[in-house]
Amino acid sequence: MSAWYYSHLILIQGTFISLLLALSIQVPLRAGVFSFAGIGSYAIGAYTAAILTIRLQVAPILAIGAGVVLAMVAGYLLALLVARLSGLYLGMATIAFALFLGVLAINGGELTGGPTGLFGALSTLTTTHVVVITLLVVLALAANERASFGRRVDAVREDPQLAVSLGIDVNRIRRRVFVVSGALGATAGGMTSLLRSTVSPETIGFHLVVTALTMIIVGGALSWAGAAIGAVIFTWLPSLLQFVGEWQPLVYGILVAFAAVYVPNGLLGVLQQGWRRMQARRHRVPAEGAGALADTATADPEHALAALGNRAEVQS
Amino acid sequence: MTAVDSRPDGPDMQAPVAVLQTHDVAVHYGGIKAVDGIDLTLESGRILGILGPNGSGKSTLLAAMTRLVRLTRGRLVLDGEDYTGSPPAQLARRGIARSFQTVRLLRDLTVLENIQLGADLHLDRKTRYGGLVRTAVPDAVTEAIERTGVGDLLALRPGELSYGTARRVEIARALAARPRVLMLDEPTAGMNQPERHEVAALLGRLRDEGLTQLLIEHDVQMMVDTCDRLLAMNQGLPIAEGLPGDVVREPAVQEAYLGKRWNRARDQ
Repeated sequence: MSAWYYSHLILIQGTFISLLLALSIQVPLRAGVFSFAGIGSYAIGAYTAAILTIRLQVAPILAIGAGVVLAMVAGYLLALLVARLSGLYLGMATIAFALFLGVLAINGGELTGGPTGLFGALSTLTTTHVVVITLLVVLALAANERASFGRRVDAVREDPQLAVSLGIDVNRIRRRVFVVSGALGATAGGMTSLLRSTVSPETIGFHLVVTALTMIIVGGALSWAGAAIGAVIFTWLPSLLQFVGEWQPLVYGILVAFAAVYVPNGLLGVLQQGWRRMQARRHRVPAEGAGALADTATADPEHALAALGNRAEVQS
Repeated sequence: MTAVDSRPDGPDMQAPVAVLQTHDVAVHYGGIKAVDGIDLTLESGRILGILGPNGSGKSTLLAAMTRLVRLTRGRLVLDGEDYTGSPPAQLARRGIARSFQTVRLLRDLTVLENIQLGADLHLDRKTRYGGLVRTAVPDAVTEAIERTGVGDLLALRPGELSYGTARRVEIARALAARPRVLMLDEPTAGMNQPERHEVAALLGRLRDEGLTQLLIEHDVQMMVDTCDRLLAMNQGLPIAEGLPGDVVREPAVQEAYLGKRWNRARDQ
């Protein structure tokens, strides 16, 4: 067990960090906001943590925390900037934000280490920290997905106009989603650069957009659980697919295409559907009863009216 | 539940108060005048019905009154306070609940969760975010479920409901907000006759309890039986307003909308 743990440490760390990165895209998507700003936030978090650790030797929690705060502020400002955009246009604008940060990193001179990046961000951050922080984040998101707040987010995604008429401030929820996404992305970025003790423009590039989106498409976009399924699969799949050698990208691509076409709600959607079918079986009796009632109503209006009259008496 | 009888012919007649008013409200889309100068008043504990053929601007007027479309001109007043410029999301908090012309339920949520959405705006911060603890269903939700008779369907999802039943769930969602003003856009569309009677009876009971209502419907007989006043519209303009019996007898109304339907209904 122990030997296995140490030989797979990078993958174990990678799983949790990928989960946070995937969540930084999943949280906006759940609210119907097609934003990749989380990837830009990953860059902000990664560079802020590395710079603070190398130059000021601050504690890892402060180094990551500073990046998180910075990314949240950036997320809020970005939300104001792109408030009128939605769909593909919003997606493009937020990808531009991520790419812009990459350009900034290359041209940041001494501060960002230019094209070669920064080295020697040595810190005391351990895998345990990473696991604990990630689990706390997931717990908070899971709590928000359920009950009232989760319902309101569903309404914002499915029917913004209805949401407004129910008293939900759609714009405020959208801004909040950008801020949360910023915090998630920056946490992932900060932890990565401290674990690897290095960061460079290559590690914050466009491939992160692809990775995060792939995880969510295959796992499922509507819940943290979908992001978790996707993070596990796509962190471990490459090492499991080693036996196919150079065909690996092909297998990978086929899997993604298959998921996108045949499982639009991801693996989580498949699981949920199965669960609902089981539940429906349990509830079938009252459902059929209701159907029967409707049938008698059409067949015999007087009888139905009498029944309604009785119900009205009970209520008043 | 104590029923306050406030109908005009009731024993304890109360003077109705103007709850919501529109002054010269107009909504133009380019050259199309969807709504062009409507003055109406919703009085407390009364049902105002809006009649008119398809495309006469009824739903646009409702959207204007709930701030979902921009007014070209005119003013909206709630409780004597102008709300022409206030954000639409605030109206629910100020007691306005509405339904839409088409079924607008969230397909991934159960019937119960859809109804709860209506009541969510009254939750405090703690209950709103403390999602890990299962909280009790608010009284307003339970009451809305009882009144609309959807108690057997709570675990189902909108896709499993008949059209008429889905509309009842929408009424339940609106009631769960405990509104002071209820605006329903064709609530009985797609319902069979007994279901329509049931909804009409429910609206009547709500009225007797003091709920102010605006009702858009095509069923003339139901409108005459249910509403205290009627406003008839055609091509965005008001063509008649007053007591239901009078309005449907207006020649302009008969010509614009009722045709033979009303005569036939009256002969029966």
